[in-house]
Amino acid sequence: MTYDLELINVGKVYDNGATAVSNFDLAVNKGEFIAFLGPSGCGKTTTLRMIAGFESITSGDMMIKGVRMNDIRPEHRPTSTIFQNYALFPHMTVRRNVGYGLDVKGMPKAERDAKVDRIIATLGLEDIAERKPEKLSGGQRQRIALARGLVVEPDILLLDEPLGALDANLRKAIQNELKLLQKTLGVTFIFVTHAQSEALALSDRIVVMNQGRVEQISPPHQLYTRPDTPFVAQFIGRNTIFKGAVETQTDDVARIATSVGTLSGLWNSKGSGSVRGGKANLVVPAEAIEVHAGTDAARDAITRQYDGNLIDATLTGFEVVGHVSHLRAALNDGQQVSLEAHVDKYQPGRFAVGSNILLSWNPSEATVIPTA
Amino acid sequence: MNANGIKLGLAFYTTLFLVFLYGPLVVLAILSFQTGPEGGPQFPIIEWSTYWYKHLFGLTPPSRIAPLPIEEGLVRSLVLAVMTMIVSTVLGVTSAQAFRTRFKGSGVVFYLIVLGMMVPGVLVGLGMALVANTLGIDRHWWGTTFVLHVVYTYPFAFLVMLAIFNRFDPSVEEAAWSLGVTPARTFRKITFPLIFPGVLSAMLFAFTLSYDEFSRTLFASGRDLTLPLAIYGTFSVEVHPNVFAFGVLTTLFSFALLGTYAVLMSLSVRRARRVLVQEDA
Repeated sequence: MTYDLELINVGKVYDNGATAVSNFDLAVNKGEFIAFLGPSGCGKTTTLRMIAGFESITSGDMMIKGVRMNDIRPEHRPTSTIFQNYALFPHMTVRRNVGYGLDVKGMPKAERDAKVDRIIATLGLEDIAERKPEKLSGGQRQRIALARGLVVEPDILLLDEPLGALDANLRKAIQNELKLLQKTLGVTFIFVTHAQSEALALSDRIVVMNQGRVEQISPPHQLYTRPDTPFVAQFIGRNTIFKGAVETQTDDVARIATSVGTLSGLWNSKGSGSVRGGKANLVVPAEAIEVHAGTDAARDAITRQYDGNLIDATLTGFEVVGHVSHLRAALNDGQQVSLEAHVDKYQPGRFAVGSNILLSWNPSEATVIPTA
Repeated sequence: MNANGIKLGLAFYTTLFLVFLYGPLVVLAILSFQTGPEGGPQFPIIEWSTYWYKHLFGLTPPSRIAPLPIEEGLVRSLVLAVMTMIVSTVLGVTSAQAFRTRFKGSGVVFYLIVLGMMVPGVLVGLGMALVANTLGIDRHWWGTTFVLHVVYTYPFAFLVMLAIFNRFDPSVEEAAWSLGVTPARTFRKITFPLIFPGVLSAMLFAFTLSYDEFSRTLFASGRDLTLPLAIYGTFSVEVHPNVFAFGVLTTLFSFALLGTYAVLMSLSVRRARRVLVQEDA
């Protein structure tokens, strides 16, 4: 079986010697929705531009449907690109913009018009088809760009932060539309973003990148609950991270000694086994932490229930914003922990700021990652 | 100094600037309405008349004052300016396009091109005359002069286009490529319409600089004179107000050219502004 897109050890070194991307491996199935996620300058856009053909690939191979594409010019690749600033042709009407890719292919007029009409209807652009893009709203222009990119029926649609220039409400709406469109058409989408909410909401798999390297490739939920690397742990979600050293490790659970006691979580090492005493991070998602009143009576029961994952803390902040309660706590070693839950769980006044509290979590909801 | 004082100072400065800019032209224009053929190129105006304008076009009875020998020079200068404009603009656009990506030696080549507008015109003209003599090439306005005009005006066109490309959003071109449009067609159908205001400016620069070029042309043009040389030639005999009348007409021609440019530009700029709006929103 061939993949729609394969990146095999792909790297990019600029002429001045700076490395933009290195050792990028990825295989994408047909119809998958992949997000490249990472902070700015992590190489995600460069990788997308290498797939599109706007940047040269300096090492490794890039294949689309099993055909090597490294030396193929962009206009001969079966990809379309959607740009953050839309990059519409300002001197053409919406219809001309959308149909331009078919014009240059020399497609018969009747067939071309039918296709253009269909995609214009799909994206709801009928009313503005004869206008020029200049006075249209960001959302409309975004849809025009999508129509223009999709009408040429690419194998892969490349989207470079396509929602970045839209306001929050519109972004949400187009996000849903985009997902629906992708499922309907079955086109493979590669989507570059620095907003994790977008990546988590849209994609089948997320490629987290940092400093030109792939940190983790996982479905959104797994990325969220089972980070592979310390970078992913601090970049995705709102995690509390305890640094420590491995005390014991079975196949599943690892216990690590930290400055606030011995704590445990699921062991997550990609291949490399643990060394007793080796450094490791315990990653606890904000949603996994339970808060209890700091009374001695409950202590033993809680310790047993959470397999020893119990730490003392002082509540330093308690705010309710809308339907979410935000709690902040200081641990004995000075580390700050923040967590949040639905307001029904921690109602205002349940804990007094400044009082002692106990924090706990299930080992199965936390992850231990070995660190260098 | 208080704000009012600054304002007053600036107003004075601006007035002075305008006087120096248009004063000579206004004097010239007034004197061109001197009566003829006995009236000379000086005040006072003996009597207002359009005699010298008629004289220019040979509509006056024959007199001791010969018609201005500029007809052929005018045609030559216009043809030369158009030729220069076309070649310099094409060179300017294509080389600025090349400079959009850094290439080996691009810094050196940049300065070599810009040098063409820096070097003193008289020296280049003299040098060209010497080279032509040495190589046995005849000097002509359509040959040696034309080459010098291109060398002189091309850097202006190049710099204008460089500035235009500097603000050009390349993702529009990439969008076209990704739709399967070849680079050549992308340039013709996407890039060129968007940079057209810049091309207009480059053309205007090249045309006007060539049209009244004097120092380079002086040594390089050979026997057949261009307009600036022909007019200069008439000064050596005796100056009559017909030169002023011609000056007024040619200034009006320049204004017409500028007017056309302004209209075309405002059309293009309106389109460019739409592009900007598109990027901002």
